[in-house]
Amino acid sequence: MSLSQLLLTPFAGALLVLLVPGNYRVVHRFIALVTTAITALGAVSVFAAFQPGIAGMQFEEQAAWVPAAGFGFHLGVDGVNIGLVLMASLVAFAATCVSWDIEKQPKLFYILLLVMTGGALGAFLSLDLFFLYFFNELALVPTFIMMGVWGRGENRNYATFQITLYLTLGALIGLSGLALLYSQSGANTLDWVTLKAWLAEKPLSGHSQNLILPLLLVGFGTLVGLFPFHSWAAPGYAAAPSATAMMHAGVLKKVGLYVLLRVALPFCPAAMNHWATPLAVLAMGNVLYCGWVALRQRDLFLLLGNSSLAHMGFCFLGLAAANVIGVTGVVLIMVAHGLLAALSFGLAGHLTKVTGTSDIDKLGGLLKTLPFVGGALVMAFLAGCGVPGFANFPGELTVLFGAWKSFPIFVILAAWGGLLIGGVYMLRAIRDLLHGPLRDGSIQGGDAGPWRRVPFLVLLAALLYFGINPGSLSDRIAPSAERIALVKSISAPATVAATAHAAH
Amino acid sequence: MDAHAAQHAVAASSAFSSRPEDLAWFILLLPLIAAAGIAFGVRRSPFLSSTLSISATVTAFILSVALFLAFGLGGYASSPSPFSWIHVGSLNVDLGLAVDRLSVLMLVIVTGVSALVQIYSTAYLHGDPGLSRYFGSISLFTFSMLGIVLADNLVMMFVFWELVGVSSYLLIGFWFEKPSAADAAKKAFLTNRLGDFGFLLGILVVWSATGSVSFTEIGNALGGNPTALGGLASIAGLLIFCGAMGKSAQFPLHVWLPDAMEGPTPVSALIHAATMVAAGVYMLCRSYVLFQAPGAWPAHLWFLGDITALDIIAIIGGFTALLAALIAFQQDDIKRILAYSTLSQLGYMVMAVGCGGPDAAMYHLTTHAGFKALLFLGAGAVIHACHHEQDIWKMGGLWHRLPVTFRTFAIGTAALAGVPILTSGFYSKDAILVAALDGGHPVLFGLGVLVAAFTPFYMLRLVIVAFFGKPRTDAARHAHEAPMAMTWPLIALAIPSIAVAWFGLGDFLSAHFNPHFHAHEGGGLFGPFNHAPLAAVFGTGSLIFGVTAAFGIYWGATTDPLPERLGLLSRAMRNRFYFDEVYEAIFVPMHDMVGRLAAAVDRWVVSGLGIRGAHGSVELAGRALRLLQTGNLQTYTFLFAAGVAVVVFVATK
Amino acid sequence: MIPGLHHYLIVSGLLFSLGLFGVLARRSLLVIYMSLELMLNAANLALVAFSRFNNNLNGQVMVFFIITVAAAEVAVGLALIVALYRKRQSAHVEDLTRLKY
Repeated sequence: MSLSQLLLTPFAGALLVLLVPGNYRVVHRFIALVTTAITALGAVSVFAAFQPGIAGMQFEEQAAWVPAAGFGFHLGVDGVNIGLVLMASLVAFAATCVSWDIEKQPKLFYILLLVMTGGALGAFLSLDLFFLYFFNELALVPTFIMMGVWGRGENRNYATFQITLYLTLGALIGLSGLALLYSQSGANTLDWVTLKAWLAEKPLSGHSQNLILPLLLVGFGTLVGLFPFHSWAAPGYAAAPSATAMMHAGVLKKVGLYVLLRVALPFCPAAMNHWATPLAVLAMGNVLYCGWVALRQRDLFLLLGNSSLAHMGFCFLGLAAANVIGVTGVVLIMVAHGLLAALSFGLAGHLTKVTGTSDIDKLGGLLKTLPFVGGALVMAFLAGCGVPGFANFPGELTVLFGAWKSFPIFVILAAWGGLLIGGVYMLRAIRDLLHGPLRDGSIQGGDAGPWRRVPFLVLLAALLYFGINPGSLSDRIAPSAERIALVKSISAPATVAATAHAAH
Repeated sequence: MDAHAAQHAVAASSAFSSRPEDLAWFILLLPLIAAAGIAFGVRRSPFLSSTLSISATVTAFILSVALFLAFGLGGYASSPSPFSWIHVGSLNVDLGLAVDRLSVLMLVIVTGVSALVQIYSTAYLHGDPGLSRYFGSISLFTFSMLGIVLADNLVMMFVFWELVGVSSYLLIGFWFEKPSAADAAKKAFLTNRLGDFGFLLGILVVWSATGSVSFTEIGNALGGNPTALGGLASIAGLLIFCGAMGKSAQFPLHVWLPDAMEGPTPVSALIHAATMVAAGVYMLCRSYVLFQAPGAWPAHLWFLGDITALDIIAIIGGFTALLAALIAFQQDDIKRILAYSTLSQLGYMVMAVGCGGPDAAMYHLTTHAGFKALLFLGAGAVIHACHHEQDIWKMGGLWHRLPVTFRTFAIGTAALAGVPILTSGFYSKDAILVAALDGGHPVLFGLGVLVAAFTPFYMLRLVIVAFFGKPRTDAARHAHEAPMAMTWPLIALAIPSIAVAWFGLGDFLSAHFNPHFHAHEGGGLFGPFNHAPLAAVFGTGSLIFGVTAAFGIYWGATTDPLPERLGLLSRAMRNRFYFDEVYEAIFVPMHDMVGRLAAAVDRWVVSGLGIRGAHGSVELAGRALRLLQTGNLQTYTFLFAAGVAVVVFVATK
Repeated sequence: MIPGLHHYLIVSGLLFSLGLFGVLARRSLLVIYMSLELMLNAANLALVAFSRFNNNLNGQVMVFFIITVAAAEVAVGLALIVALYRKRQSAHVEDLTRLKY
């Protein structure tokens, strides 16, 4: 399956759903499911066909669009995005599965979900930054609509407003950064490969780097939930329908990080050195501050939302370290966290639907009545606090190794946040939600039937596979990470400081 | 890169040839296969689950024994490592196995105890609805434990280290609907995590100094340049020790172990006596090369002078041994007495490592694994017989009602107390006392002797009160012997409690740590009295003292006379010196308070001032500006025209 | 005297000002509408004049467009005014201030 076919499949599915009249509900579901299944299988085949050990782009496809302005349609995968493409398509499949019993306007819902899927895939696959941005926005708009129309909870409207404003504003700031890059580089293109070669010859001046990088960091950082631009995330996910929360927390949030990896790191190296320490401090804001906030949450979704923010802190720390190990770790976490976030939001959604509440204080002992969902949730919580065997562990470990030489103090704090604070809130959640005697709010029955288990099993299998065999991912990532990392091989902190000093 | 890949290809092609050490792969993977088989296949049938799990472990045990014999006779070390786990830049982690004397011995212990415990569990947990889950978890646990034993690098060890934490979490919380069990599981996991935090940082320090995480390469690096770790040498050692502190429940992280007794008793025998808690000691021995490097402190810790990491380890171990023995004096729950006794013995082993005797520590670990598992399983048989009564003061007179349990329990007690010549415990304890003397730690030697006197005292208190005298409750009066599946493992474990000393295990281990080691002349059963008489005589003397005291105080007693004699001290012992209370008053609220603060900031400052502030100011501006909206068409037109006029004026000026 | 470009432009400006005054000062929607047309025609006059003096036809083409659009606009606008009058019984701007605040 070529990349353009992979990208077009969800859009074709959306079109098909659109053409089927509104009262054939089963047909809509079926088309959406088959489309995402084909996408997922296609992504798996691309992942398998991808040659590890090669740094450059593979499966490239190119078509001119506005040659005068230098915009073109350019698809391709290297180590940085191949895993993300696979993760996105798996999550999309799972999200379609869990929205099987959407009652309200299913046709529109599935169209939006498929557009979201296509947008996310397009953002990861596009090597032209203009199209990357376009596809990201294309995927974001359905998010807002889905939250507003199919969302849950009393806070829904406020949360939708907040997430819309934050993300739109963030995207705009990011866009201004990209526009500045376009005008300052002089390459007259936003094609990543061309730009990379161009900037290797004529790097941006320190001044324009220092203008572009903050815009990118704030703009795309907001999309990821970088502290202190994070407060849209937890209430947003609490209000979103399961499938949307899965797609956004799992996939779309990663686009921001992906742009930072692709653009900020290789194109603004001097500014990146300059901003590394502040970025690491903000990363601690995510790991520690959001972790502490998560400690106090008594709502399952708010807990998961804040913990997901805490995980993003590790990504920012790896980004700040900017060496091969750190960057590889960031990509590992992005893939792992995408799968995990989708898994936990999907399970939490099921739990909430069955029990009618997401208030942890009203629930208890659910492992007894919901053995499958409860057991899967235990695994998700354990994966979330960095237990080996799940893909998050190698990612976080790699980031800690990568950042150790540049930021030992922050690594200590991050390890504390990941091992201890993460452990406390995750285990507390297991203890209060799943262990202990049955509480009033808990019900009998309602466990996922055989078919309902499929999405969770797919995500769990992927998490376990990459957890046990992270080499299958890291061998693909590392050569490409080498191309975008600032510090090619580990050097002493003194050298890093010297480069940072020389940069301005 | 290419050279590396080629080397891997060669390694992979030569793997699973006929080398004996490749058996280790099967030993490691068998329990995992069993766990996976239970999870995905036979979990609906408790019988099939238990059969699968037991047969896998028994096969692993047989293979381990074969491997042990091969190494015991051949005596060489080798590490097959054909699989790469992660290779990025300078971070290279392979999934390799270290097969040497240390690990094959541990393989035998882990698989042997695990197999016996599983057989025992079929009877002990008969009819429990979660039996399949139990066997799945225990297989997973066995797998993780074997992983720790066989890991040939620090990262792999950390991986399995965490997995052991998780599987013990599942096992302690087996009866998760019981709040106390769920809490205990959580506490155990989190306390271990605290240790793991240090362990991880230790790995990072070692990696950044030596550029590798593999034990062999670290050893080579330190062999070539003993000061490679620079000023962080002692810190690195202590950080690694943090991990051991968690798993082996050393002060101040000891609080989880007694609570973990909430799990089923066979689990306590497996995890909290023989294997998981021994992992810490094993890990110290495995990474002993780090501690042999000359100690050094960072500049601002100059006041620590030439105290080495090993000294601190020895002191913590000795203190734990004493503390736990004192607490054990005044516990009434049969499992808690054994738990504190375990703590105390682990402290002993850690002290031995700290005194420079990793061989003595491993020796004691081996013998202790046998007799402590025996004691826990015996306690389980007693509890089973008395209908889940655990208070020893509510038992009594069990010796003729539970003949097999009593006899084997007595053998275990004798071994733990260190009865000379007859039991294995004597030899290993003696080795530790010798190590303390040889290492130049007379104070710790004295402490060791003191603990050696305390041990028989609290154990005999347990035996006398629970097994002798008159039955004090109906449960004890109607107790009857456990089924075969429970008594046979007891008998099987009683054998090594007596016989382990007769194989020259001590020399086997010493040869591992010291290639130039030569067995002492005049060894044999009376060896200790010949070549280190001081330690042997003190050890025997303390045993006699403890036994006499216990018989004097507890023979025929129906209530505990100690509280009256010791007063306040007894209350402190009974309340475990208030560690739990102090921790609960300090650590948990501290994090909660920070959490509450952060949540409040998030709610009022970030969401409140930030977002609602921005929202509010925009709305306020909107309220003011809407007054311009008169609705009159001509006003708008006028404003528009005026605006155009201004723009034109400005543009043309 | 041969009229020059500035003569045409002055006439066009006067026409435009008259139209603007009408739009701003008159009350009846119909008259406002006629004033609007006046403004459009002022622009047309300027365009034709430019076209003539620059010797190309661009301006004239533009004028044709404007005339067409203006015709359509008048049709729609008058229809709206009639509809409004039917509903409100008034075509005076000060009565049509529902859309304030």
